[in-house]
Amino acid sequence: MAQSVLRLAREVLRLRLTMLMLNEGIKAKAFRVPIHLALGHESIAVAVAAMMQEGDQLACSHRNLHYNLARGATYAQVRDEFALMPTGLAGGRAGSMNLSNPGAGIAYTSSILGNNLAVATGLALAKKVKGETGLTIVVTGDGAMEEGTLYESLQMYATYRLPAMIIVENNGWSLATRIEERRCPIRLDQMAAALGADYVCLSGNDPEAYLAKLTTAREAALADSRAVIVEVMLSTLGDWRMPTPEFPDGKHINYHAGGTPSVCLDNGPCVRAEADDPVHVLACVHGPARVDALAAEIAGTLEARA
Amino acid sequence: MKYVQYVNQAFKAAAEKVQPFVFFGQNIAAGSCLGGLSRGLGGSPGHRALNTPNVENTLVGAGFGMMLGGVSSAFFMKQQDFLLLGLDQIVNTYNAVRQHAPRASFTIVSTVVDSGFEGIQSSLNNLADFCSFARVPGYTIACKQDADSVIGNIFARPGFRLMGVSQRLFGTEIMDFGAEPLLDRDGEIFQYARGADLTVACCNLTLPQGKGLADELAGQGLSASLFGVAAAMPVDYAPILEDARRTGRLVILDDSKSANIAGQGLRAEALEQGVKTLLVKRGHSEDWYRPGAETFSVDAGAVLAGFGLK
Repeated sequence: MAQSVLRLAREVLRLRLTMLMLNEGIKAKAFRVPIHLALGHESIAVAVAAMMQEGDQLACSHRNLHYNLARGATYAQVRDEFALMPTGLAGGRAGSMNLSNPGAGIAYTSSILGNNLAVATGLALAKKVKGETGLTIVVTGDGAMEEGTLYESLQMYATYRLPAMIIVENNGWSLATRIEERRCPIRLDQMAAALGADYVCLSGNDPEAYLAKLTTAREAALADSRAVIVEVMLSTLGDWRMPTPEFPDGKHINYHAGGTPSVCLDNGPCVRAEADDPVHVLACVHGPARVDALAAEIAGTLEARA
Repeated sequence: MKYVQYVNQAFKAAAEKVQPFVFFGQNIAAGSCLGGLSRGLGGSPGHRALNTPNVENTLVGAGFGMMLGGVSSAFFMKQQDFLLLGLDQIVNTYNAVRQHAPRASFTIVSTVVDSGFEGIQSSLNNLADFCSFARVPGYTIACKQDADSVIGNIFARPGFRLMGVSQRLFGTEIMDFGAEPLLDRDGEIFQYARGADLTVACCNLTLPQGKGLADELAGQGLSASLFGVAAAMPVDYAPILEDARRTGRLVILDDSKSANIAGQGLRAEALEQGVKTLLVKRGHSEDWYRPGAETFSVDAGAVLAGFGLK
């Protein structure tokens, strides 16, 4: 167990440090493609990657970097992909928002809001038709889930009894609008129940706890041939305050894409000393010194490979 | 045999050798089975027919998902208007999926509602527009010979395409030229007759009108070459242009309501080559926005006058 916990902790740190290095590259204008960092999303990605078994397939969204890394992509591979180099993860042909890696189980990635939800139903249907085992996992957000295709895809899973896991990364934002600014509340638990799906809510950024719950949910989905919605409460870190004439003390800017000026690799892996930062959670669980030592070790490895 | 029966059997036969194969769509295995279009599909070993919920966007996406998962499929759609709801998938998903050179097949077969009197919102016949959005191959089926070729050779081939069948033709005897076409260029262009005085090229679903025109001209002692352009997207029109240079006259028929019609591209190429060309197309009309017959007819006299033959 201890080794497993440490493995997940190392992965969270590897993802964080890799994204911090990429952020420096973005700030230095090393890339032309739009990049959506996922600082704060590391725990769910690491847990999903650890949960996945042979035959499982993942369909990602425009913010897919954390899943690509968690499924084994290296800093150099994603850096080169973002630079559209042949040595990139997809040979420089995908860039950022469509980065998939079928060999690592990431069958499809879409840059279009909600688009992957539809495609995932076909991945699940293909498995059933071919008699193959494995779970179809699709990642979306609290913005994309507003699209009608979530409702449509839940009908498909229930109608054809297809096992699937829909991960809703709920960061409360769609670009520059918070949920309460743009729409009515949506009770995903009730929506799931209405359409024959299970519902699990994750919060707290503990990858080990996430893995345990995801593994149970995966087994239930496969056993009952049904969908499960996993709503993950998280924060996308990297927001900042930008002074304007109207807001001399700084207007709050939600991080959506590109580089974030509020985060610097030199400041270490922890972005925010609060529970919505998975690295801070690791420090609380394992102790700051242990996490710092692990981070230093991983950073050295990343830099050496880069 | 009726058009719809022939086309239905052609779909069944074309998928026969491919396993597994999933036919899916709303009401495809219930009620009239889309007027007979999908009757009996899915009955072969390794085949399935799935009646689906009314979720067109997700259904188009599901076809691509199955394609990525190595399963061939066809989505049968009662009328082409519904395809508007799946445009994101046709454009954006296919642009990503085509990068993977999938080995499975995915075809969307939509009924082009050209029978008239459907109402204000249900007479979209612009197959070419859907194809153009993402440069997807598309084909119309108008007669026995193009059904044999397009459905027989392309329907279950790896890759993605759209196919349009004509609701106006459903209950009519299938047009049969009685012999193999003089030319079948990859299911895109067919030549059914070779004449001396005029070349007739039929785009979208105008082959019946083109055949009628050729017959009428024959009654006046003029012989026409007759081409069917099954491809909805612009293709290499060399066989038609070569024939038109020989006859010296090209008449192009196109009944699509789109402003982006295949016939326009063919006309531009013909004019560049100095061929006397006449394009017969629909004029935009307020009649489009109320129930009506929506017939597309060709006035042989006007064609002759246009070429100074009358």
